Amino acid sequence: MSPRARPNHAGGRRPLALAGFVLLQALAAVFFLGDAAADVMAAGLSAHLMVEGVVALALVLGVVFGALELRQTLERMREQDIALASARGALGEVIAAQFAAWHLTPAEADVGLLALKGLDVAEIAAARNAAAGTVRAQLARIYAKAGVSGRAQFAAFFVEDLMGEGLPEPGPKAATAAPPGR
Amino acid sequence: MTAPAETGGGPPALWDPIVRLTHWGLALVVLLNAAVTGEGDTAHVWVGYVGLALMAVRLVWGIVGPAEARFSAFPPSPRAALAHLADLAWGRPRAYPSHNPAGAMMAYALWAALAVTIGTGIAITGTGPGARADHDAAFARGDWSVLAHERPFVDDETGELLEDVHEMAANLVLVLVLIHVAGVALESRALGRNLLRPMLAGRRTPAGKP
Repeated sequence: MSPRARPNHAGGRRPLALAGFVLLQALAAVFFLGDAAADVMAAGLSAHLMVEGVVALALVLGVVFGALELRQTLERMREQDIALASARGALGEVIAAQFAAWHLTPAEADVGLLALKGLDVAEIAAARNAAAGTVRAQLARIYAKAGVSGRAQFAAFFVEDLMGEGLPEPGPKAATAAPPGR
Repeated sequence: MTAPAETGGGPPALWDPIVRLTHWGLALVVLLNAAVTGEGDTAHVWVGYVGLALMAVRLVWGIVGPAEARFSAFPPSPRAALAHLADLAWGRPRAYPSHNPAGAMMAYALWAALAVTIGTGIAITGTGPGARADHDAAFARGDWSVLAHERPFVDDETGELLEDVHEMAANLVLVLVLIHVAGVALESRALGRNLLRPMLAGRRTPAGKP
């Protein structure tokens, strides 16, 4: 879990930096505008002030565009979070549907899921309070039902879906996904 | 589409960086100008202008920012604020996606009081953040003529009126800040969730998790 949380955290720094930049620009704009206003009141308009006016305009526009850019960044990050969550959920649904299509028993489905998560036989046995021999036998039945040669091919079965054509539509469609024809 | 930063319909798990930076920036400005800088000295004026910039950014953000930072997410409604306070008194406040109605009124009240404070401050010192510094520099050079007026940029009568308003508004800000802090503490307790942390830092709740 922790390695997944990290990109989120690192992603939080860019908006913060952008926000700091917007604030700094706003500070510059306020001081510059204040100064320019004081000059106008003291000396009236002049060519010099026209130049200052352009600079002030650039600063203000910079603030506004910076703010808009920041809003877009925040929205993009949120969309990515949502997409990631639905991808995780969709993958979970695909796996469950595929297990059902292979007619795995609930116990086998549990073991299969733990195997997909990368636990070895001893760890699965410990997690399920079962003997290592039982787990090994269950894994063998799972591989047989799935028609794969072993753990590596078993995991690859689901990864292939992700790489080939993106995520299949979540829902009942996944249940009809063809079992391995290889 | 629900934003993942929101949890269970409550306020965001983490406010966006502009909201947080302007919030604590203004808090620091108030603290500095109330307790650290001398009344009306150059540093006081500069800190005040920083406050103006922070306010300006927050108000622009209230229009162009993300949903929960926009004014439309927490419209000023005294009636809703009172209803929320009544809920709070009964110990069963509702959670709102942005500021709660009482918190919203507090935000607007604070901004209004700050706007009056900053506005009168600028009027007293004259336009431009450097005006006060120039004045002091002239005095430092030995140009004592600038001392002819205590407030060099407005006539004495207006100046005194402005100073009175400035001081009243500043005191109002301090009173509001105290109520604000007490309100956050009460609400956090009643809701059973820390409302301070989303304004500070910390991780966003991972998407999809309750």
